[in-house]
Amino acid sequence: MNKCIDSDIQEMLPDLLHRTLADDARQRVEAHVATCESCQEDLDVLRMVKSAAVFAPSIDVDRVVRQLPPYQKIMPAIERPASTRVVSWLVAASLALVVLGGGSVLMIQSKDSRASNPAGYSQVPNQVATGGQATKLSPVESVVVSRPLDKSVAAHPRALALAADVDGLSDGNLMQLMNDMDGFDALPASEPEPVISVDSGDSL
Amino acid sequence: MIPSPEGRPEETDLELINRWKAGDSRAATRLVGRHSQALARFAASAGEREGIEELVQDTFVRAFASLDSFRGESTLRTWLFTIERRLMLDRRRSERRSRETVPVEESDHVSEYGALDGLIAEEAQERVRKSLDALSPTQREVFTLRVQQGLSYKEIAEVLGSTEGAARVHYHNAIKTVKEFLKDE
Repeated sequence: MNKCIDSDIQEMLPDLLHRTLADDARQRVEAHVATCESCQEDLDVLRMVKSAAVFAPSIDVDRVVRQLPPYQKIMPAIERPASTRVVSWLVAASLALVVLGGGSVLMIQSKDSRASNPAGYSQVPNQVATGGQATKLSPVESVVVSRPLDKSVAAHPRALALAADVDGLSDGNLMQLMNDMDGFDALPASEPEPVISVDSGDSL
Repeated sequence: MIPSPEGRPEETDLELINRWKAGDSRAATRLVGRHSQALARFAASAGEREGIEELVQDTFVRAFASLDSFRGESTLRTWLFTIERRLMLDRRRSERRSRETVPVEESDHVSEYGALDGLIAEEAQERVRKSLDALSPTQREVFTLRVQQGLSYKEIAEVLGSTEGAARVHYHNAIKTVKEFLKDE
């Protein structure tokens, strides 16, 4: 017996057995099998194997159905697009940055204010024009009492001159301040040294 | 709808699934009745000897618990075969583990295997069963799915998680082995 070389037909033999071929394919296979001993033998083997498959225990359908779980619709988790998730993370990171940065600035400011003004005094510019001269003051001298001056302080003309706000001074203090200002020199007491040019004779 | 042997239109699997989802328990009975014997035959031909009914039941329980994941891209029967095959593999793994610890007793051989053998009345059918036993597990699965269940190579590839080409090769090797076995007998 010659071996069949038409592998397409051989592959369709189970479909012929199960009657799942289209009409034209079925006619082609049947025509081939009628003249091919090898395929006839294959078909006999396939029929035998198919018929041998009936020996399986019968299944109690009702028993199986009783065990089935009730239907529960599976709700799929809402999957947000990746771009939305990235934007959410960026917004969250920005907010965290703003909160941290703002908090740090506030902490630094309150720390500075406490270090330079531990008693709650207000600060004034540390330069006061005195008689046309700018006098550099130390940080301690630049601190001025904002509450009304007492007599010991008012008696010190320099302390009066350092007062930034004259609204808190009494009439007497103001008068004293005015008198002191009259005593200030309008011009510098010393003049710059004149520059004398020396002729070295190199130009001759 | 597909025509039934009686002439009235037969509901498709998808229509029955939708009816069951809508609360019609009779649809489940129709579906189980339609596919249960095919699952039992597949299990028997794949070498299962015990607990085939439990295996079929577990297959349906698993399938009905996840029917929403069935998209209808393959037939329901192919999908059921896929589930049943996974259960068989799990069962064999656990049996292998238990065999490593529990010694096999003589009484273990007297079981449904004997009852099933008793059902095989004809000598030719006994020979077929022996010829199938001569195949490798994958060859046997491919051959029985193709010959006994009438699945296409594409469907077999889905059940096995393999390719159509591999299924074709297994089929040709299997039929060659079965023919030689039946000739020698």
